[in-house]
Amino acid sequence: MMDLLTLTVLLLSGISLTLPLLQLTKFKIVSAYILASVLALSLFLIVIYGLNPVQNQLSPSLLASDTLGSFFAAIAIGVTLFVTLASIDYIRTPNTAIYYSLLGFTALGMLLLSFSKDLLMLFVSWELMSFPTYVLAGIDKKRRSNEAAVKYGIIGAMSSAIILYAISIAYGIAGSTQISDVVRALSARHDIIVAVSILLFVAGFGFKMSIVPFHMWIPDAYEGAPATVSTLFAAATKKSGFVAAIRVLLAMTTVYAVTNNTFFTVSNILAVLALLTMTLGNVAALTQRSITRLLAYSSIAQAGYILVGFVPFAVSPLSYDAQIGLTGSLFHILNHAVMKGSAFLVAAAVLLKLRRADLDSYNGLAKRMPIASFTLAISLFALAGIPPLNGFWSKLYIFLSVASGPYLWLAIAGVLNSAFSLGYYAWIVKRMYLDEPEKPDRVDEPLSFVIIFAVLTALIIGIGIFPQVFINFITGAVNSFI
Amino acid sequence: MILSMLIFLPIAFSPVVYLVTRFSKKIGILLSVFLSFFILLLSAYVFTGVYLNPPQPNNYSYAERFSWISYGPVTVDYFVGADGLSSPLVLLSALLTLLVVLGSRELIEKSEPEYYSLLFVFEGAIMGVFLSLDLVFFYIFWELVLIPMFFFIGLWGGSRKKYAAMKFIIFTFVGSTVMLLGFLYVYLVSPVHSFDIPDLAGQVPGGLQLIPLILTFLGFGVKLPVFPFHTWLPDAHVEAPSPISVLLAGVLLKMGGYGFLRISLGLFPQASSQYAVYFIVLAVFSMFYAAFVAMLQKDLKRMVAYTSINHMGFVMLGAFAAAASGSVLGIGGALLQMFTHGLAIGSLFMLTGYIQHQAGTREISLLRGLRNLMPRTAILLVLGSWAAMALPPFASFLAEFMVIAAAVAAYSWSAISVLVPVITAGYFLWMVKRTVLSKAEVSEIHDMSLLDMLSFLLYLAPLVIVLVFSFLITDPLTPVAQFLMGLR
Repeated sequence: MMDLLTLTVLLLSGISLTLPLLQLTKFKIVSAYILASVLALSLFLIVIYGLNPVQNQLSPSLLASDTLGSFFAAIAIGVTLFVTLASIDYIRTPNTAIYYSLLGFTALGMLLLSFSKDLLMLFVSWELMSFPTYVLAGIDKKRRSNEAAVKYGIIGAMSSAIILYAISIAYGIAGSTQISDVVRALSARHDIIVAVSILLFVAGFGFKMSIVPFHMWIPDAYEGAPATVSTLFAAATKKSGFVAAIRVLLAMTTVYAVTNNTFFTVSNILAVLALLTMTLGNVAALTQRSITRLLAYSSIAQAGYILVGFVPFAVSPLSYDAQIGLTGSLFHILNHAVMKGSAFLVAAAVLLKLRRADLDSYNGLAKRMPIASFTLAISLFALAGIPPLNGFWSKLYIFLSVASGPYLWLAIAGVLNSAFSLGYYAWIVKRMYLDEPEKPDRVDEPLSFVIIFAVLTALIIGIGIFPQVFINFITGAVNSFI
Repeated sequence: MILSMLIFLPIAFSPVVYLVTRFSKKIGILLSVFLSFFILLLSAYVFTGVYLNPPQPNNYSYAERFSWISYGPVTVDYFVGADGLSSPLVLLSALLTLLVVLGSRELIEKSEPEYYSLLFVFEGAIMGVFLSLDLVFFYIFWELVLIPMFFFIGLWGGSRKKYAAMKFIIFTFVGSTVMLLGFLYVYLVSPVHSFDIPDLAGQVPGGLQLIPLILTFLGFGVKLPVFPFHTWLPDAHVEAPSPISVLLAGVLLKMGGYGFLRISLGLFPQASSQYAVYFIVLAVFSMFYAAFVAMLQKDLKRMVAYTSINHMGFVMLGAFAAAASGSVLGIGGALLQMFTHGLAIGSLFMLTGYIQHQAGTREISLLRGLRNLMPRTAILLVLGSWAAMALPPFASFLAEFMVIAAAVAAYSWSAISVLVPVITAGYFLWMVKRTVLSKAEVSEIHDMSLLDMLSFLLYLAPLVIVLVFSFLITDPLTPVAQFLMGLR
């Protein structure tokens, strides 16, 4: 009997490899439905696997068998599923089957990355995830889109190179690429080369996580890429940066403080990065004129909140605060995937129907596209952390984890940032509901989008009202890691 | 079960109200009247229950408790209960919602389905604020109140409605997130590690109370509002339609006062008592400031709005005077002031709506000869002004008397606050002289119907009843007040 993880990997790789064959037939669009059903099945399988992880038979030395992996894999696959469904109406390209095959490969890459426990495996799946997205960003073959794709490709290649360099240093010290061995070997030494390796990892993963100062490419790429692909970036591939950071970086902090210097500690570095990331993201978002750029900066700010939850873990990994913080961060990663996915897909629907992405096109949208407007309003309120929506609970956990002890200032900064962010979120709601539209006609909303909106809104409200179920699963993931 | 019904029945019925009102306005409004009347009956039942059997100190009647999040290190319970402090406010909210539904019939003329359904979301959320005994749920309902209010101001407001709605939501949201930080701090520093208000009472270490007291003060102070966090209020009131002003002044501001009594005094008693003098100074200053600014207003509604700030200052003064002196009079006075202010100012706001509707303006200088032009409105305006001036036979008199007595017991110099009702009486009389007693310049303005006039009895009659039978409110409050004073 094959275990479910192996089954999912085989299923996804098999389907991604064969989908391009449909390009030769007349039924290219069928590929979307095939991929969607396979992704739905994979999502189901991976959640079942996460509830009771057994030793995987694929490669026990390269892939972990834990709930943490399945948590991230489930988010990645779930988001890809929604992106696939939204693409059916959205994407107009002659290479339809190729597009869906690339989506499948990205999902596979994220799946493998979530479970990686070996640095080489991590790197290979990182590339498997990244390469298709370079193509996806440029699938429109428009000038803007191409520019975004090239920019994203170059930055992506650079971050891969940085990670590879960090891995090579780590291998040089440890003589092994197993993450657990590397962590043990690095912890035995206290010299500059170890610090360099850690900082390189931070930088490499930081590009994907959209941590300031590695965030410059995000707004351009999100704006230039087709909106469905931006959804994938913001809600899924970004999360893979976090799982890599959790597996590698947080594991290191359990045994090693970068130097003996009391100021230059991992927790201080994380705290400062978190502060910079959320503040810069929020301040920059306030001045944006286009919805995709605004959401991109808001996405950067949200990465800052997630990072806040890592700080108490870096201080003392076995404390209560660390557990609360990590639970909050993982929960926020899930919530952010749902909220930001929902917001980006509304942007996609508006782009599709009105052919515009500037904020002025959202004036009076509630009269023209009521369902999309309601979805966007709910997801923006959730992003701002208004209860009882899902974003509230995860932020509660995150800020709770740092509200006592030396990082109270970080909690205050986070809460103020959160309050500040309502300034631009509520501004969009104001545009949609209080302002008058330029043209008062009713725009019809595609059925596929309406279904996606209904599911995502139900998730935002449902997770908000019944957070217990998800917290149980996340606590399982956190415990499997600690 | 009954308290959950008070919270969730209105919320659950709000989509029904929406659909019915879309189908037919008449039936929708009728349904709204019945629904809000039913909620009023439920609250009256709770109020009577609490009056007849006041719960033991730090205990609550009709309490319900379910574990909401219990896995992992954080536990959050859904925990509601009523006592002598919350039951009058619940009754007040239900009564005002009914009155607002009655008043909106005439004054709200667009998007009725959305309006009435949001009204019930608001009612459920506000009940949740007064009944929650868990800080997280308290915060959830606290924020839930914002969303309907944002749309009320933004969609049904006057010419600068968008500005007012944004200002309102940003001010109150910033205040309440900081308040949440205070709650988190309390959770972490208290040895019980709990969000339950009864469990936390007396458990927050004395030396660590000042930080959460200040953090939560920002949340309550913005809602109350107290100088310097008050600037959103005149804008919100002036732009909001009159029935919504009634809710804003009558119910929403009470959240701040309730927060002072329940949380500042209940969870941080030592710090409240030790630093009470700063809060008293701020409250007195805020009262004088608002009274003087109210005097200068040209717009009748803006004047009433500033009076609201001036009256709510008494609530804060009463709460912290009690904390400083240990006198239960302050708590009783604060609660009575909240109750009477809701009705007195509520009636005045509703009247400004009728005046605007009938005369087309709210400018005090343009409203002349109301005595002859709209006698019914004029009578009510005079009676409402009496109530706002704290003249007997209205219970506002008793409330302000109790607060001032407690303030004098705390610090004799705070007797200066006696001058505030004098100033208030001054500008109200001046307003009445200019509007009611002056000579009319135009001749045909229609007056409100007799039925509408009689509905104002529901505002004014309870004020008289509470003055005569003040024990209705103070008796069940006594154990709560004594418990709060015992914590100091």
